Amino acid sequence: MLLMIIALLVFIVTYLCIITEWVNKMLAALIGGFVIIVLGVVDQTIAFSAIDWNVIFFLIGMMLTISVMRETGMFMYIAIKTAKIAKGSPLKIMALMFMATALISAILGSVTTIMILIPIVLLISEELKITPVPFIITMVVASNMGGAATMIGDPPNILIASATKFTFVDFVLNLTPIILIIVAFSLGLIWLLYRGKMRVSNERRAKIMEYNDKNLITNHKLLWITLSVVGLMLLAFIFQKPLHLENATIAMAAGLILVFVGSRKKVETIILNDIDWITIFFFIGLFMIVEGLVHTGFIDLLAQGVISVTNGEPKTTSMVILWLSGIFSAFVDNIPFVAAMIPMIERIGEVITDPVQIKPLWWALSLGTCLGGNGTLVGASANIVAVGIANRNGYKISFMDYTKIGVLFALESVILSSLYIWIRY
Amino acid sequence: MLLASFLEPRNILFENRVLTKEQLYQILVDRLCSQYKLPICGSKLMELILQRDEEVSPAYSTGIAIPHIRMENFNDTLIAMAFLQNPLDYNGIKVSWVVLIITDKTSSKLYLNIVAALLKLSNDKEAVADLHNTGDGHSVIQYLKKKEVEVKKDVTIADIMVQKPIAVHPENTLRELINLMCMYRVAGMPVVDATGKYIGEVNILNLLKVGIPDFVMMLDDLSFLASYEPLENLLEKQDLLLVNDIMATDEKTLSPETSIIEAVFLMFTNKKRYLSVVKEGKLVGLVTAMDILTKVIAV
Repeated sequence: MLLMIIALLVFIVTYLCIITEWVNKMLAALIGGFVIIVLGVVDQTIAFSAIDWNVIFFLIGMMLTISVMRETGMFMYIAIKTAKIAKGSPLKIMALMFMATALISAILGSVTTIMILIPIVLLISEELKITPVPFIITMVVASNMGGAATMIGDPPNILIASATKFTFVDFVLNLTPIILIIVAFSLGLIWLLYRGKMRVSNERRAKIMEYNDKNLITNHKLLWITLSVVGLMLLAFIFQKPLHLENATIAMAAGLILVFVGSRKKVETIILNDIDWITIFFFIGLFMIVEGLVHTGFIDLLAQGVISVTNGEPKTTSMVILWLSGIFSAFVDNIPFVAAMIPMIERIGEVITDPVQIKPLWWALSLGTCLGGNGTLVGASANIVAVGIANRNGYKISFMDYTKIGVLFALESVILSSLYIWIRY
Repeated sequence: MLLASFLEPRNILFENRVLTKEQLYQILVDRLCSQYKLPICGSKLMELILQRDEEVSPAYSTGIAIPHIRMENFNDTLIAMAFLQNPLDYNGIKVSWVVLIITDKTSSKLYLNIVAALLKLSNDKEAVADLHNTGDGHSVIQYLKKKEVEVKKDVTIADIMVQKPIAVHPENTLRELINLMCMYRVAGMPVVDATGKYIGEVNILNLLKVGIPDFVMMLDDLSFLASYEPLENLLEKQDLLLVNDIMATDEKTLSPETSIIEAVFLMFTNKKRYLSVVKEGKLVGLVTAMDILTKVIAV
């Protein structure tokens, strides 16, 4: 019991450190992870074996892949082309950027996408002499939606995939349809919110049309190699089961091939700059902390609590998980939350033993955490990163500025998700 | 070691005639050749000195010229000098003190230290005037002994740095900074307060950065953008922003005692081509990579 309280305290203190940004998240997670060991909650062997290497190497593999993909200039090309296709019309740019952001996020993850696209949108809005704030907010929303659509788009999905052995195809079949519906409704919401609000002179419009996208992709050979390898990677994800390959193996294979073929001479820079070691070690620490909760039986207790509330009825349980994780993710970092929820759903799975009935719980967890993140300014990393970039460039976006728009999209998407889960499963 | 110990009264001349550079060199060469057995002498030596002059100007802005020759198999260092009533013109630099040094090929360190001591002395206007007024070699040596002008064993930053460099104040506007940079054609300068206390540095990149917003720096590629207005905004902001707004306050500085090798090391590790020299909090000098090239390597 005492050990359980210690484990819970470490989890809560670490969480508070991350939310308040009092300590760097990686440092907080690693300190928490080793405090668990030092205080004897679990021994080192157990703590280390809790580290999900499938997740760690999947992340590293994807970061390597993305680093080379980014170097080809294809994402800049998509962004600039999008602005030109919209012919400099603000509402069209917003709608197309929304779709582009969702699409790119489904592959790169929300934070990377935001880091590539927000500077471009700041530039475009400066040239059009309109405020970038609505663009930034809607693109953040799109990035969190896009990330939820695939297995590789958002860390909660990566964690869920590794824990459940759901394949890439499972995610595409179960999550992509609802995300497409949500994106379609969101475009309608954008039209309702912003139509007729942004006016731009023809002269300004012409400047965007002058953008020269010819030089953005200079190395065509690298582009083709990259597209081929990424294509093969997606194929491997699709045929993951017959190939007997795990996520980490596929991602690492693609990443290593791309770095070897495309950026051999810059390996050290890539390892140093493009692999986000902060995130990697944050995950490692987190796995250890959550193992403390699992090992001491806290997660069992939590699972029993949820089951007693929902009577183990799958649909109700899904709804509880969806809304609970949606609301929770709107205010706090969703990764530690998902990391703790995964073993809980695994325990519930010991009660609801029918695999068909347990599946929607996982999709509810994924949709709730990813989409709930749109609710407030601090709900997801992408929100914080985007607002940080905006603030540094003189566009102050307050908590309320963001939240009054974000919460609309979060509500819209969680309601649609509820209907989807209720009807489909 | 005192500089005076290297000097002989008969090799110190006071010249009030109007002479050409060649005539003066000839006199100095004749002096040395008549007393010492040099491996190379006479017109051959003259040729070497003039050829060397062509390659690297021996004149320094303080009004001293130090032509020198390194000979093989000559295990000694000889110094002959002349104080001129009528300055010589070395490509625009008025030189009224010429010091000819002949040394062994291998003794570059001693030579550098003698040059450093001479340069330091030539910076002291009062001392140079006093030397001109002594009138004869004995008095020059006496004066240098009394002043305890030393030839150090190791050259330090103090010997090669530019003393009293151009600096700006934090409250200067960017327009004033731009004017100073253009006038002196320097790409960076130290920032000091009214009392001369070192505060930081400002360079041309800090200045250009004013015209480029943060988000542009985050783009992977700018090739699609032909013209961009904010760069022109730098001109609008030049009267509004102060040096204080853009200066860097965490730059590495040197002390006058820093060795040359450490300065080069710091230039590499900090990726900078100039470093401020600070003593007891005050800015005392500036050393550039070019100083190291011209005053240490190409001598």
